[in-house]
Amino acid sequence: MDLFLQFLVNGLVTGSFYALSALGLTLIFGLMRVVNFAHGEFYMLGGVLGWFVTTRLGLDFISGMLVVAAAMAAFGWLVDRLLIERVRDQGEEPGILLTIGLSIFLANSALLAVGTAPLKIEGPVANKLVLLGPVATTQLRLFSVAVCALLILGAHLLVRHTRLGRAMRATFQDPMAARLAGIKTERVYAATFALGCTLAAMSGMLLGSIYSAQVGVGGLISLKAFVVVILGGMGSFAGAILGGLILGVAEAMWGGYISTGLVDIIGFIIVILTLIFRPYGLFSTRSERA
Amino acid sequence: MRHLRHAPVLAAVLFASSAIHAQETIKIGLVQPLTGSVAYNGNADVNGSKLAVEERNKAGGVLGRKIELVIEDGQCKPANSVNAAEKLIQKDKVVALSGAFCSSATAAIMPVAERYKMPLITGVSSKADLTEKGNKYFFRAAETDALLSRAFAKILANDLKLKNVAYVGVNDDWGRGGVEEFSRDLSAAGVKTAAKEYFDHGTTDFYTLLTKLRASNADAIFVAAETQDGSILVKQIKELGLKTKVFGVGSWATADFIQLAGPAAEGIYAAVPYASTMTNPRNQAFVKNYSARYNEQPGKYGNAGYNALNILMDAIQRAGSTDAEKIRTALASTDYDAPNGKYRFTDKGQAYGFSLALVQIQDKTPKVVSSASIDEPK
Amino acid sequence: MKLERNLLFAFLLLAAALPLVVGDQYLLHLGIMVLFYAVLATSLNLVVGYVGEFSLGHTAFLGIGAYTAAICSLKFGMPMWATLPLAALVSALFGLAIGAITLRLQGPYFVIVTLAFAEVLRLIANNWIDLTNGPMGLAGVLQPRLLADGSNLFGKQFYFYVALGLAACALYLAYRFVYSNAGRAAVTVRENRYVAQSVGIRPFSYAMRAFVLGAMLAGLAGGFYAHYISFVGPEVFTFSFMITMIIVVLVGGKGTLVGPLIGALLVTLLEEYLREAKELRLSIFGLIVVAIVLFLPRGLMGFLTARRERRGEISAAPAAPADVAVAREGA
Repeated sequence: MDLFLQFLVNGLVTGSFYALSALGLTLIFGLMRVVNFAHGEFYMLGGVLGWFVTTRLGLDFISGMLVVAAAMAAFGWLVDRLLIERVRDQGEEPGILLTIGLSIFLANSALLAVGTAPLKIEGPVANKLVLLGPVATTQLRLFSVAVCALLILGAHLLVRHTRLGRAMRATFQDPMAARLAGIKTERVYAATFALGCTLAAMSGMLLGSIYSAQVGVGGLISLKAFVVVILGGMGSFAGAILGGLILGVAEAMWGGYISTGLVDIIGFIIVILTLIFRPYGLFSTRSERA
Repeated sequence: MRHLRHAPVLAAVLFASSAIHAQETIKIGLVQPLTGSVAYNGNADVNGSKLAVEERNKAGGVLGRKIELVIEDGQCKPANSVNAAEKLIQKDKVVALSGAFCSSATAAIMPVAERYKMPLITGVSSKADLTEKGNKYFFRAAETDALLSRAFAKILANDLKLKNVAYVGVNDDWGRGGVEEFSRDLSAAGVKTAAKEYFDHGTTDFYTLLTKLRASNADAIFVAAETQDGSILVKQIKELGLKTKVFGVGSWATADFIQLAGPAAEGIYAAVPYASTMTNPRNQAFVKNYSARYNEQPGKYGNAGYNALNILMDAIQRAGSTDAEKIRTALASTDYDAPNGKYRFTDKGQAYGFSLALVQIQDKTPKVVSSASIDEPK
Repeated sequence: MKLERNLLFAFLLLAAALPLVVGDQYLLHLGIMVLFYAVLATSLNLVVGYVGEFSLGHTAFLGIGAYTAAICSLKFGMPMWATLPLAALVSALFGLAIGAITLRLQGPYFVIVTLAFAEVLRLIANNWIDLTNGPMGLAGVLQPRLLADGSNLFGKQFYFYVALGLAACALYLAYRFVYSNAGRAAVTVRENRYVAQSVGIRPFSYAMRAFVLGAMLAGLAGGFYAHYISFVGPEVFTFSFMITMIIVVLVGGKGTLVGPLIGALLVTLLEEYLREAKELRLSIFGLIVVAIVLFLPRGLMGFLTARRERRGEISAAPAAPADVAVAREGA
């Protein structure tokens, strides 16, 4: 029983990280129908920038995170306005290819800039052991889970209760009608992309403090984020959270009871099964036109 | 006296050769992972090689010509390494190859080397069967996992008083090989196997794996991992409060690993073919030059690259020409003085005569706890 | 139609003449890689260009073909002329199975589920040690006995002609498919699924045909790869291979038969040229992809065809049906 609890807690912790990192993707995927393959690279940039501001610029973690958030939001905005805007009307494929090209470029340029070594980010809280009954975890992890929850809540409030959020939801439901209602949809798209980018980057920095920031991590992160988004349903917050937790726990259980070598496979099997049996995910907020 | 007589001729030759410098270099090809998950260690290897070449060129080069390194990125992948080797041999017309780091990549380029009759040396690849393939152009200036484990299994079992060991390895040919070898030799020394687990390159969260290890009641953990994965694993071992002894193979005891793992690295044992704290004059000179050039202490891979190139350059010098067969013959009769002992080759191309060390990381430096040397295999 | 066929013939003839003119082994090696990518790109083009869906899992079939050939060669001692058709067959079967599941989905869902399949296969290949030797891979795939005594140059020439044969075979099959009823139906589905259904075309069955044919050709290429490189490891399933394939199809122009050939040529040469740039190489690649998507969305062939279309309009002569068909193929 102890073992099960430990696996469960491990899974919930990593699951909440997955949820945060997938949140940005589900917004972009759900609202803009752009399959953003560069998502993992935004995450990676968050980690690398986080290392830069905390180590080279000497900022503490929280202020560093704010700086990174601002920088990545601006970056996301520019990417949308300069690149994605131009292929928006051409269907999904150009978006996919564009973001693939972008991800290759970002990953390798970062490699050139900082090299291959894992980068350390000083967390805001020490990494001390915390024992919850039979379960072991660390202070930093619990703190990060709390930050994840806060960020998710913040994003939710943004989308539900601000004008920008309403504009996003309107554009999500029907872009043409939104435009007719006077919403500047280009700005909404850019803002959504910037938000997605920032969420990814912040989760990258957060997790970078727990593990380490590495340049090559983008591909796997993108894939896991896609798994969560598909499981949870495009565009759904609740879906991203639940999907993330399910993936985290599934991986922990599979790794714990079956084999740690094959852990990644569970995510892909989940995707395949979901797409066969419930293609719109657990919580789709939009009925899929054929 | 003789030198003085030859001086003007020598000067004229040197002058002439420096005037047409570009065509006169001897090219040696490197196939190493410059990108990918072992890129960090691959770059260290390349750095060691570059240092060796720089030192040699400063001392006049080989056969009166400068050595030029042509470096290709094999990415530790067999297909890419084959492409890189083909390019180096066909296009750059190198006279010898050093590579390809990972045993599977090296295994892939060995037939290429044989087909083109190109001497190939590896300073790193440790899979035992590479020297069993009968490829007479291939030389391995490194230890194999089998040799490491045979040398240290008894010592580890006794010194660390091991009873129940859990084995963890990265899920590739090297990690699996290391786990197999060590578990076999330690079991022969009476140590029980608590668990055997593997993880993928690039795993960041080891909690599930470590939970299983904790439940297995092992009193020590054996790890076969490289810097990137190993440092994270070790940090998480300490985070979770696992009080087991940790020992392993791979790029432990290197400066970058110690720096990344931080305080979590203290107390870890490593079985390594090289440590910067080995005490002999050759090593002290090497450590001084390497740290001056690269701002960090050399580790296993820097040393490997350094040795591989020196062995190649020595062989070319002794061969007296860049003819492949002559270089090959010269390689077979190598007797090279390295920072970690002497290197000689068996007729299968396996190196022997150099030292291995069991180090423990204390105060951020690898202190040599015990050493052994690889004797000529029967 | 005629123009395309003539272009294809010209390409094949030129390629056939290459080894007679060029003696440099490295250039022949490049030529072999160009042909290899041409076959791969043609197979991917069938799915992307003629089904109209973006498959990111095409490496699955390449990998299956490669592993089939390697396993048959190493465990059963089969020679190359037996393993290649077997590789194609097994890939086709997998294509049938995977297509049955994935072709029911469209758009981004199709993209991700195909990717998921490729990843699952990679993880299986990496972990099923008994069959695939895991990360250690299968080395020493048997070379044809013919080559044992020959020189290295002869070996390269031999493989070049085998690759050429495979390319010819692939182009022929693709050509026959595209200009058959099945092919035209697939194009109709691509252009407008509902209209196609309204005239009685079942999208699923035609998509299946293109998909399985694509899988078969990719498997054939994979089998060739196994023998030529003589080493097969789980990295054949990785995304980076997929990216190269995508770029080749993109650069050349999807939905055309000549496009993949041009793409293969350009991309292989570009990779070689960029080798000098080493670490910068991949960054530049990424930029090139972005640039192509923004400025040359239909690839080179698409660009050229569009120019011809425009010139056709300017000359005001009614375009012959054959030319119009070609123009639309390029769309």
